[in-house]
Amino acid sequence: MSYYDIDAILTDAEKVPCKFELEVAELGYLDHNPAQPLKAGTSVGLPLWLGELLALASRAPSSSEEDSKSFISLNLPSSLSNEVMSALKADPRAVPLRDQSHNFYGLGTRMLDLFDEREICAILRKTFVTRAADIALHARKAGATEDMGIGGGEEFLRGLEEWERKLFKKAHDGTKGTKEWMEGIKKY
Amino acid sequence: MYGDLGNKLVQQAKRTQNLAHLPPYQTEIVRAVTREVRDLDKDVADLLEPFQGSFNPASDQATACTLLVNHLSMRRNKRCLLAYHRTRTDRLEELVWKGYDVVDLAGQQVGDGSGNHNGASGTGNNDSGTSSLSPQEEDYVRQYSDLLAAYKGQWTDIDLTGSLEPPRDLFIDVRVLKDAGEIQTEYGAITLTKNSQFYVRQGDVERLIAQGYLQKLS
Amino acid sequence: MDIDDILREVDPASYAIPEGTRDLQALTRAWVAERSSPELLNWPVDGLFERINERIKQQIEKIEDMTGDMDPKTNFALIVIQTELERYKFIVRSYLRARIAKIDKHTLHYLSTPTLRARLSETELAYATRHQALLHNHYLSSFLSSFPQTLQNLNDTAGNISMIDTPDLDTAVFLRLLKDTLVEGRGTDTDGGMNGRYGDIVILRWSDAKPLVDSARAEVI
Repeated sequence: MSYYDIDAILTDAEKVPCKFELEVAELGYLDHNPAQPLKAGTSVGLPLWLGELLALASRAPSSSEEDSKSFISLNLPSSLSNEVMSALKADPRAVPLRDQSHNFYGLGTRMLDLFDEREICAILRKTFVTRAADIALHARKAGATEDMGIGGGEEFLRGLEEWERKLFKKAHDGTKGTKEWMEGIKKY
Repeated sequence: MYGDLGNKLVQQAKRTQNLAHLPPYQTEIVRAVTREVRDLDKDVADLLEPFQGSFNPASDQATACTLLVNHLSMRRNKRCLLAYHRTRTDRLEELVWKGYDVVDLAGQQVGDGSGNHNGASGTGNNDSGTSSLSPQEEDYVRQYSDLLAAYKGQWTDIDLTGSLEPPRDLFIDVRVLKDAGEIQTEYGAITLTKNSQFYVRQGDVERLIAQGYLQKLS
Repeated sequence: MDIDDILREVDPASYAIPEGTRDLQALTRAWVAERSSPELLNWPVDGLFERINERIKQQIEKIEDMTGDMDPKTNFALIVIQTELERYKFIVRSYLRARIAKIDKHTLHYLSTPTLRARLSETELAYATRHQALLHNHYLSSFLSSFPQTLQNLNDTAGNISMIDTPDLDTAVFLRLLKDTLVEGRGTDTDGGMNGRYGDIVILRWSDAKPLVDSARAEVI
């Protein structure tokens, strides 16, 4: 992951469900309630940049009997919920991933670094491969007719999350480049 | 919450990546995010003050948690600010390589490159026709231009900022889109007046093509 | 004859070719490799670029000498020489620009250790050092100087992520094998290997390809 990468930074801003394991007087604002202390057990959606490290930081045990625990416990975001996973299992192409998260795969890979969820891993990979083939097909069509973003192309793009849009653009530029090169050859 | 403003900057940067021009520098947001960092730092100092340097995270976990949140928020803001500025300097460097100088960039109307040399740069903070660059960015463009000139100077016979398209023809037809004055070529001087056409050596006019003074005719 | 032909027919070990031709081949190889690999490669230290600069200078002088002459025969020769010179200069320029682009992208990385710094030429090193200083200054004057001291660094690694961006060595590259050799690649689930033959074209992660390239068993294309 790159420090200056804009997409990585935006992925870091995606919210994930977190549950506080202790009461913190000063953090009420995280639950939109600055005047009140944040109670133990409160669930709030925190951006990944905050939630991940709060969950990973182990607080020192207050007594010797107590195991060290973290400040919060982290949960999987709704984009990786059972419903979404079932829908993807049924037909990866039918789900507008962008509605789940603009950085669906970025968020997914970050979460799966933290959670050992083999099945979700397998579903995401299959989803990516299946959809990538579809994206390549659309991009080639758009590249051949020079009308990317018009009509069907735009409708198709709307459901794509960021990685997929990048893939689409690469496939599109590639097709266009090949076409220009072929024409260049004919000329000389 | 903390970090929201920083996120706005990053969204700006994302937009900038997809735009042909450089949108105005977000002076206000940059200032606000910077202030947020200073406020957070002060909070940290206030929180730690009563402990006189002997804070024990184990005995006050709530404070430890707040400190961590503050700390992470500061680091997040730093990353957003750096990425925002870096996205912009990347774009500015690209333009310097293409032959623009600070007057072109600060004046925004890139077309009128030869005119108002004074005034456009420096204090460009009045409301109308303001520069989309911050004064610091203008300084940066100046310094980077000097650096590039120095590096190019090491390669006197290779025009490093020349075209990265492989050369096909030694001579090309060009049409003059904007008056560009007189240029020196190996075959003598030619005066480039608008709408005239010339058959010239590509190497002599590449920069003028890149800057939009000439159009290459195929 | 295109570049592929030139590259294929040249055995790097052969020295029966005149130095000028050999240098052009070395330059062409360096150029292709630099453009195709995700990280900065070593700057040639055997004086290649000193010789190249010298030759370019000679050609320019020759052209200047010939220019005054209006004889159509020499004029044609002149155009050939000029065209060739432009192409030669283009390769040098494209090579240098490919390197500068990589250096600009990961400046701190290439400045971070003596081994990495050794990949840069002297002028590149001076450029990179100054460029980084300019950037740091720009950040300082724009916002960083009002940060608490401990947050002013540009090279920490706190919080699971290093501030020093590095090139992605797992990027795929195309290789042509110059010798029969075992080709091994790491995959996501399983690793793979094959007995490659001279002339085979393979696609491989750069991190797996680099040992083959370094030992002249393959070249990047």
